Amino acid sequence: MVIQVEGLQKRYGSTVALRGVDLDIDSGGVVGILGPNGAGKTTLVEILEGLRQPTSGRVSVLGLDPATQSRKLKERLGIQLQTTPLPTELTVRELLQLFASFYESAQTAEAILERVDLRKQAHQRADTLSGGQKQRLVVGIALIHEPELVMLDEPTTGLDPKARRDLHQVVRELREQGRTTLLTTHYIEEAEHLCDRVIILRRGEIVADGRPFDLVGQSRESSTIWIQVNGTMDPAPMLAAGAEPLGEQGAHHKFSTADPTATVLALGDMLRSQRLQLVDLRLKRPTLEDVYLELMGNDVNEEEHLTKADVEEGVSQ
Amino acid sequence: MSNLRGLGPLTRAGLLQAFRSPTSLFWNLVFPLIWLFLFGFIFFRSATDKVLMMPGLFTITIMSGAFFSVSYLMVRERESGILRRYRATPVSPTVIVLANGIRAIVTMLLAITMQASVGWVVFRYQVDGSLLLTVLVLLIGAAAFVPLGLFVGSVAQDMRSAPAITNLLFFPLVFGSGATLPAFMLPGWAQSASRLIPSSYLVESLDGVMVRGYGLAELAGPGAVLFATMGVGLWANSRMFRWESSEPVDRRSLLVTVAVIAAVYVVAALAAPSFQMAHPPARG
Repeated sequence: MVIQVEGLQKRYGSTVALRGVDLDIDSGGVVGILGPNGAGKTTLVEILEGLRQPTSGRVSVLGLDPATQSRKLKERLGIQLQTTPLPTELTVRELLQLFASFYESAQTAEAILERVDLRKQAHQRADTLSGGQKQRLVVGIALIHEPELVMLDEPTTGLDPKARRDLHQVVRELREQGRTTLLTTHYIEEAEHLCDRVIILRRGEIVADGRPFDLVGQSRESSTIWIQVNGTMDPAPMLAAGAEPLGEQGAHHKFSTADPTATVLALGDMLRSQRLQLVDLRLKRPTLEDVYLELMGNDVNEEEHLTKADVEEGVSQ
Repeated sequence: MSNLRGLGPLTRAGLLQAFRSPTSLFWNLVFPLIWLFLFGFIFFRSATDKVLMMPGLFTITIMSGAFFSVSYLMVRERESGILRRYRATPVSPTVIVLANGIRAIVTMLLAITMQASVGWVVFRYQVDGSLLLTVLVLLIGAAAFVPLGLFVGSVAQDMRSAPAITNLLFFPLVFGSGATLPAFMLPGWAQSASRLIPSSYLVESLDGVMVRGYGLAELAGPGAVLFATMGVGLWANSRMFRWESSEPVDRRSLLVTVAVIAAVYVVAALAAPSFQMAHPPARG
C-alpha cells in the first residue's frame, strides 16, 4: 500500500476542510482526485506531502508519517505544487541542477531535459518559457530524483491542448514505469482518460471512488441511442425494452435508455422481424462528467466552501 | 553532512541570481560606492578623517547588506512561494539560511573590496593596520550580522512590513554605534549607551585593526561579542525560520528570542573592555 489514510480531519479555524477521509492507494497506476474548488483536494494532497499538518487522523505515505518523517519521505516523493514560482534569473539547466542537488540520488539535468523535451530551452531563463514549457520544467523538477510516488496538483490548468497532451504523455510514461501518480485536476475528461482510479471529493468527504468506467456505470443518467434504418420502422420492441423515443434527428431516430444492452438486443429483434437493415447506430453512454455533476448537485455552481482565506487564516490549527 | 546537502549549489544559484539581477547589483555593489563618495566628499577633509571614517563606512556596508539585502531576500523568497517549493524537497532550513548567508557575505565583501579600491584610487585611502587582520574582522563582522538580517527576514510578515522593521533597526545600528560619528566625539552617556548596540563592537574591532594597528589579543573583547552575535543570530534563525507566509510568527518564541538577544548585549555592555574608540587615535 503506497498511501493509507484513516479518519483524516483538517480544520482551518471554524471551516472543516476534510471530514474523516479514509483512503487506501495501491502501488502503480494513476489516481485522480476530482472536486470543485474548496472541496479539500489540495489540503488532502498537501497533508500527504507533509506540507500541512492534519487536525486528526492517521496518515501513512510509503510507510512513513509525513508529519514526522517529512525529509525521508521527500527523498521518495515527487511533488508538483499547484503554483510553482522559480528563481527567474536561473536557466532551465541551472534550475534542474539545483533541485537535483537536494536529493541523495538524482538523474542528470540532461536526462530530465530529454525526458520533458526541453533540450532546446536548456539555456533559457525560466521567466522566458511559455506556459507549457514552464509546466514541463516544473514536472521535470518533480521527477528529477525518480520518485516512487508522484503528486501532481492541477498540472494542466491553463495549458493549451498541445501542452496538455504533452503532459498527459509524461503521466502515461510514469504509469508504464510502474510509478504511482496522484493527480488532482479540474478537467473531468482528463481524469476519465488518464486515471485508473478516480476519487471525487465534495465538501471534504469522498463521495465516489472507483475506476472511471465503473463510476460511469453507476450513473443514473440514461444512455442515448441514434439509429438509422433503410425503411419505415416500428420501434415497439425497443420501447418494450425500456427505451424512450426522443424524436428524429436528421435521418436518425433518437432514443434514451437506462439499459442500453437490453435496448440494443431489442433493436436486433426489431431489425430481423421487420426485415430492415441497419444503416447507422450510435450509442452515447453517460460520461464521468455526468456522474460528477450528479454527485455535486448544486455545489458545482456554488462559491467555494473552503476559501484561500480560510486556509491562510487557520493554517496554524 | 546530509543535513547540508545542496548548500554549495544553492549558494552558487544565489550568487548567480545576485549578479544577474540589475536591482540586486545596484543595491549590493553600486549603492555602497554611493556611500563611499558621500563620505569622501562630506567627511574626508584630512588624512585623519579618512582613517577614522573608513571603519564606519565598512560597518554601514555590512549593516545595509544584512538588514536590507538579506532580510528582504528572505521575505521575497517566502512571499513569492520559492521557499515553499524548496520545502517540497528534502533540503533543510539550515541549508537555506546558510546559502543565503554565504551569498550575502560574498556580495558584502565584494562591495567592501570595491569601496576600498575606489577609495584608494579617488581618495588615496589605505589601511594602516594589518590588511589580513582587517579582512578577517570584516569576514567575522559580516558573518555576525547576516544571521540577524536573516532572522529579521523570517520575522517580517511581508514586503510591506519588512522596510519598517529593517529601518527601525538600521538607523540605531548605524547612527548609534559610532559608524557615522566616531565614538570619542560622543558624550559619555551616549558612549555607554552605544555599547548596547551590536554594531558598535564591529566599529570598535575595525577601528582597532585599521586605525590603531591592534593585533588579535586586543580584539578579543569586541571579537567575542561578534562571535556571540553570530551564535545568537543562528540560534534565532533556528527558532523563527518560516517556509511560508501563511505560517504565523510564534509571538512567544519571538519574545523569548528578542529577550535573549537583548540579554547578550546587556552582558556585553557590562563586560566590555574599556571603550578604545572613546579616545582619538594617536596618529594622523
